[in-house]
Amino acid sequence: MEGKIIVVTSGKGGVGKTTATASIGAALALEGNRVAVIDMDIGLRNLDVVLGLENRIVFNIVDVVNKRCNLAQALIRDRRIENLFLVPASQSDNKDVLTAIGVQRVAKMLKSEFDYILMDSPAGIEKGFENSVVAADEAIVICTPDVSSIRDADRVIGLLYSRSITPKLIVNRIVPEMVARGDMLSHEDVIDVLSIDLLGLVPMDNQVVVSTNTGMPLVMHNQSLAGQAFRRIAKRLNGEVDIPIKVPTARTGVWDKISQKLGLNR
Amino acid sequence: MWNKLFGGKKNGTPMTTEIPPVKLKGVGDSFWVTVDPSTPEDVIHEKISELFERLQHLAINAKVIIDVGGAEGCDELVNNLRDFLKKRFDVGIVTTPPEKRSQSVENSRQVDLGKGWITHRTDALILTGRIRSGQKIETRRHLIIVGNVNPGAELTSSGNIIVLGSLQGQVNAGYPDNEDAFIIAIDFKPTLVHIAGIPGDGADPSLAGKIVYASIHKNKVILQDYMQDQPFGKIPWPTAL
Ligand SMILES: Nc1ncnc2c1ncn2[C@@H]1O[C@H](COP(=O)(O)OP(=O)(O)O)[C@@H](O)[C@H]1O
Ligand SMILES: [Mg+2]
Repeated sequence: MEGKIIVVTSGKGGVGKTTATASIGAALALEGNRVAVIDMDIGLRNLDVVLGLENRIVFNIVDVVNKRCNLAQALIRDRRIENLFLVPASQSDNKDVLTAIGVQRVAKMLKSEFDYILMDSPAGIEKGFENSVVAADEAIVICTPDVSSIRDADRVIGLLYSRSITPKLIVNRIVPEMVARGDMLSHEDVIDVLSIDLLGLVPMDNQVVVSTNTGMPLVMHNQSLAGQAFRRIAKRLNGEVDIPIKVPTARTGVWDKISQKLGLNR
Repeated sequence: MWNKLFGGKKNGTPMTTEIPPVKLKGVGDSFWVTVDPSTPEDVIHEKISELFERLQHLAINAKVIIDVGGAEGCDELVNNLRDFLKKRFDVGIVTTPPEKRSQSVENSRQVDLGKGWITHRTDALILTGRIRSGQKIETRRHLIIVGNVNPGAELTSSGNIIVLGSLQGQVNAGYPDNEDAFIIAIDFKPTLVHIAGIPGDGADPSLAGKIVYASIHKNKVILQDYMQDQPFGKIPWPTAL
């Protein structure tokens, strides 16, 4: 069976595309899928760092698309998570070095090798975005609960619909205490405007920064709330229909503290 | 583009009182040419040429209505103009305005009571769904959105705009200079409002939760509580826009 290409996009930068791509990719692989994560943010390579694979880069996606190497040479295998592979971005080129046709050719090869291919798209809606959606079967739109991120996500959703891709939504960096105080938009406010299916809600979590810096996939930290959220998202993507959407709540109760200490899944 | 085509006025500058010998505006799917028949015919030809030249390819096969303002004995003029427009600009059908009913108002209302509306063509574009950021809807007709207009979306209509849902984003009614145009929205929270090119304020907090009616009054955009003020409820008889 052919694999599925899922583009992770947002319009705005810094909302968590790369974090989500790495986390969902790792979680899907932990579920037993063969997964490739592709860094399409040419010139602003990030995904390799988040996954802790930056020391092993020889070739990159530009080399593959432009036939300077074959796909197998550019795939970096993760040593901790079986069946997780990365194709890094090139750090030196700019976004215009890729062509849609070239990307589609590589996408076809990837689909015959993997169950899931996640494309980490660059910010913006120009050529780099085009290249990362050109081969996509599905799309995940990442949005944070703020007005400008919603505006950009909305624009991207319109562009995806115009390509007959129905995107799903992840709201990232939710701070439940701020939502409760009314200082942050709630996920309902976000969905009110964007009106697409919700894939999951991810809280603000300091562990994200820690795991980015150590290159340890977030979803391998059992206590990380963001990590847990991404694991549930991966299960939903993987076709498990009975995983309820969990709304991040303020962690104040005694039970919360105990379960946090014990590392229990909430 | 319309500004260029139809010589629309800029934001809020008053209209000049001098009436030009030839005027051109878009009505529905036709170009409506208003001609002052007291002008010498060669001047009319010249003015029409100027206007149609600006239309470029849009003139080809276009429907044209020549309106002499009800003046009698202009058949020859109309025929000449028809030949001229067809030959020079390749326009399609050239007609005169539909005859006004000679019946009394009372009679016509009785027709309304019967099935008089059955032949009435609506000049409205009705869209359902959500208009998203970066999407622009431009129409010469009235615009009715059954759905929501998101922040960052833009609506422009030469007539009225009615949103049966939440209106965020930018709205431009009566573009370029129709001061009779209005905007109605169930949830009125636009980032920018223009009616006939006159800018107005966006949402009014005192009208939160109300259906809002926006219109031009003394060269200003004013917002009203639609259900309370009933701007149309006072009109005793249905009137087509
Ligand atoms: N849920 C989260 N909690 C805390 N920090 C986060 C979270 N998601 C992302 N971040 C941080 O936000 C920054 C931008 O994330 P990144 O994934 O690089 O965004 P993008 O790829 O969209 O530009 C990074 O520093 C990342 O560590
Ligand atoms: Mg990134």
